[in-house]
Amino acid sequence: MIPLSWYLALSAVLFTIGVVGVIIKRNAISMFMCIELMLNAVNLTFVAFSSYFNDVTGQLFVFIVMTVAAAEAAVGLGIIITVFRNRESLDVDDASLLKF
Amino acid sequence: MLDLIPTFFFVLFGALAVGCALSMVVQRNPLYSAISLIGVFVSLACLYVMLAAPFIAAVQVIVYAGAIMVLVVFVIMLLNVEEEVQRPLRLRYLVPVAVALAFVLIAEVAFMLSSIPRQNPIPSNVGSTLSIGSGLFTEYILPFEITSVLILMAIVGAMTLARRTAILSPTARVVPGAQVLTRQTVDPRAVGDATAVESDTTEEAERLMGLGSKARRSDGE
Repeated sequence: MIPLSWYLALSAVLFTIGVVGVIIKRNAISMFMCIELMLNAVNLTFVAFSSYFNDVTGQLFVFIVMTVAAAEAAVGLGIIITVFRNRESLDVDDASLLKF
Repeated sequence: MLDLIPTFFFVLFGALAVGCALSMVVQRNPLYSAISLIGVFVSLACLYVMLAAPFIAAVQVIVYAGAIMVLVVFVIMLLNVEEEVQRPLRLRYLVPVAVALAFVLIAEVAFMLSSIPRQNPIPSNVGSTLSIGSGLFTEYILPFEITSVLILMAIVGAMTLARRTAILSPTARVVPGAQVLTRQTVDPRAVGDATAVESDTTEEAERLMGLGSKARRSDGE
């Protein structure tokens, strides 16, 4: 069997790529997809621990995380469409009305 | 000792996931990013199968690679997003900061992984649909129900965000259950007229608009 730490390392690499993407991307939809990648990295950690410690709780939490991700997709994409309708742009730098 | 075949598949799918994730960040076209992200989801589903979690793997493919990514691709095509324009970053220091933070994060994880004891896993079969279902509906019934409330909030929120409403006059009152439609919706000839028309039923709206009275009279005769 593969050591648990391999899965954790892979998950950390995926999470880091997601963080870097959120920081350097300026397109709202691309940032959204990077957030989905981070959620998936966490899911991989949950499933790996669940399998190695023989406890089903981790997989139940993966189920709940997926539900939250689906709700986030529905509301987040609604917000993105509303912003695009008002500003004709998906660039997050253009939506800076509340910025000091 | 490591078995050769699981190691091979772990390296294969792990490399595929990391490669697709890197491609997602590097691509400028959001549609190509979305397709790379689907690659990440599918390779993660294969890793879930290796971790003896077939139910989660199936849900991963159906919910993530199916539903959520279809929604994202639909929005990308609806908004007709072309390639990101290469404009100068307003915060120029952001990219080096991102790379530095990534290295810090990876270093922390490497430190933690080097400090955990190496253990021999026991083969498990906790990922069956039976165990997930019995856990979800007995011990974790409260989080499950709260999840349903969350979904309801997401439905209401998405509908509220997506709705186009008529411009109501300041003195307008809305009776619960009454319909508020734009004049454009009620009368096809009034193109671009967003005046609010408030009514309880279709007949009421027709009477208010002065529409369809002739047709109904001819029906009555």
